[in-house]
Amino acid sequence: MPSVSTRSSVTPWLFLTPAFVVIALILLYPVFSGVRLSFFSYSMRDFAVGADPTFVGLDNFRHLFASPHFRNSIRVTLTFVGSVVALEMVVGLALALLMEDEKLKGLRLFRTLFVLPIMIAPVVVGLVWRFMYHPSYGILNYFLQTLGADPVMWLSDPGMALPSIIIADVWQWTPFVFLIVLAGLQSVPKDLTEAGIVDGCSYLQNLFHIKLPMIGSVLLVAAILRLIDAFRALVVIFVMTYGGPGVSTEVLSLHLYKTAFTAQRLGRASAVAVILLGILLILSATLAIRTLRSERR
Amino acid sequence: MFRKIWTLLSIVVMCTLVAGGLWAAGQAEEEAVGPGLEAPDEFDWRAFEGETVVASFPSHVAYDAAVELIPEFEELTGINVELDQVAYMRLNDAQLLEMSKPRGDYDLIAAVVMWKLEYAEPGLVRPLAPFFDEEGLTMPGYDFDDLVDAYVENTGMVGGDKPYLGGEGAELYGVPLGAETSLLGYRADLFEEHGIDVPQTYDELVEVSRYFAEEVDGIYGLAMRGASGHQATHSWLMHASPFGASVFDENWEPTVASDESIATLEFMQKMIEYGPPGMTGFDQDGQFNAFLQGDTAMYLDASVIAGPARDPDRSQIVDEVAFARHPEGPASALSQTGGFGLMIPSNAQNPEAAFLLMQWLTSPEIERRAAMKGAGPVRYSTMEDPEMQQMFPEYVVLREQVDYATPDWRPIIPEWGEINQEIGIGVNEVLTGAKEPREAMEEVEPRIRSIMEEAGYYD
Repeated sequence: MPSVSTRSSVTPWLFLTPAFVVIALILLYPVFSGVRLSFFSYSMRDFAVGADPTFVGLDNFRHLFASPHFRNSIRVTLTFVGSVVALEMVVGLALALLMEDEKLKGLRLFRTLFVLPIMIAPVVVGLVWRFMYHPSYGILNYFLQTLGADPVMWLSDPGMALPSIIIADVWQWTPFVFLIVLAGLQSVPKDLTEAGIVDGCSYLQNLFHIKLPMIGSVLLVAAILRLIDAFRALVVIFVMTYGGPGVSTEVLSLHLYKTAFTAQRLGRASAVAVILLGILLILSATLAIRTLRSERR
Repeated sequence: MFRKIWTLLSIVVMCTLVAGGLWAAGQAEEEAVGPGLEAPDEFDWRAFEGETVVASFPSHVAYDAAVELIPEFEELTGINVELDQVAYMRLNDAQLLEMSKPRGDYDLIAAVVMWKLEYAEPGLVRPLAPFFDEEGLTMPGYDFDDLVDAYVENTGMVGGDKPYLGGEGAELYGVPLGAETSLLGYRADLFEEHGIDVPQTYDELVEVSRYFAEEVDGIYGLAMRGASGHQATHSWLMHASPFGASVFDENWEPTVASDESIATLEFMQKMIEYGPPGMTGFDQDGQFNAFLQGDTAMYLDASVIAGPARDPDRSQIVDEVAFARHPEGPASALSQTGGFGLMIPSNAQNPEAAFLLMQWLTSPEIERRAAMKGAGPVRYSTMEDPEMQQMFPEYVVLREQVDYATPDWRPIIPEWGEINQEIGIGVNEVLTGAKEPREAMEEVEPRIRSIMEEAGYYD
């Protein structure tokens, strides 16, 4: 008969086993086979005729870093991610600060309205913005022309397309930041801010020295979640520009899609995926470490 | 209790029998009205009775029309037809997946012409000659030679003068259904009002575009696709043949930076200048809308627009639109070929029954009836029929145009998907003004060469 201590040390592992098996099957296996495929040359056609992938070592990666399209897509991705996350954090925080006061009239209604964009399917967001940006029939150019301004070629001007997509993404995801930050602000104990006011703090002093330091970890979580999501953004851009004009809005995920399904190079596409995965892993690890640390505190 | 259940069951059974009987009577009545084709005595329509044909079709006007008629085929042959109809962009993956299995679920597939080599070269689809040669399989009155030659070569021929063309050694793998060429669509009312002749050359096309854009308020010249990638490549290729430009020379060396190609791009730049705002972002829908909503005086692209142009839900110019031949360029008067073809997978479970459906759908009489529902014709006889011409005046022009349709305007090789993207990025950069034509094409050319080199074309 096993002793009590042995039983108690084995039992938790037994309970965990099914979860481990499921995760290994649906998560680890695809990731490992994706990483493996990135060292092979393999096309849809090879797949159809049952041909085996050819081992090419690091060729896929070498080819990627030599390709101007890939380097461009890295640049576009960094511009896109940097802009949307910065804008969403600033606007989301500002909105949360505005809506923080429980006594504001109609607050609930506004909060509900603000959250609506998150609920809309990305394909629909892409289509709606595409119509709004339409050069002849779009509502934005209609307003511009009513005001006597020249129409803007939102999605077909190489200089305007990326900013236009950034606007759409900010519209959709600012509410997400807003929600998280609002929850953070409401958890700041009232007596702290009130004590600040009693001591003669201005609004800004109160904000920068009391509220923001208090919700620092919340802001970090919001920023990292948005970063991870923005790196994977595909559908809205796919629908709005499909990477055009030229390659001015071709983000990494779209480059991956085109490599896999237009050029039909599954191995090389896997290499893009591995690079994207690497970037996301670093970001997620940062998130996990920071969260753990703040919890320990 | 048992008695109650027994009574209830009897009622249900009786109701089912009565309903079934009524339904059968209805069916019999429909049968008396007659299926689409009268079966001559010598051909056994019911040879494959009871078999099931699974067809992979796109959502496309020609296939929507065909699908409506298929119940008559089932009636006539006793073959059960199951349809898997999806957006055409999703067909390729689904078909490849099915054809990679030892026993596929698809017996008949509709493939975009660009995929034919991808399917035929590794033997994923069957050559059709054995079917046509087998006694008792070819339906009476099918008349293969009546199918438009350029369409047959474009959709079906593999392994001839070039891998994707007919000629010596070529084999037939597909039969066109939903195939098309290019036509010039124009606003007859505007042309009459301003006393302008329909352009017959590219020079006249430029001049007429300029006239409408500069002299007529609220009207632009030509509706053209321009979006980055496939759309821009499509436009460039379609104008390239008239200008004498091509993607490759006879040794597979890319020639997209040739003088002819630059001239093509300079023409397209003018069309952007005289075109509606935002045309550099137009896909086919954007192009259709610009013309059908009355923004442009002209349209030059796939003939499939004739259907939507007549549809009051989509078109503001139903009574004003007219069609003319694709204008003649400095080098030729050639027009494009494209669309879909029907093929039979090698792993099909009921290939003979599928062959029967393939013939039936592309037979003269069914084609005429599908044409009434908006499908574009692929047979000379349909285009030449005075009755059909009365209903669809563009058939007169279409009949002339198909003699100039070339299957060699676009190199259908397995590497085309990637090359298509590369050219389309370069062309779009020219159209948006980001790069000069020669600069852009001199950047694209080495990329095409490296794709071809990697694929072993120069070994």
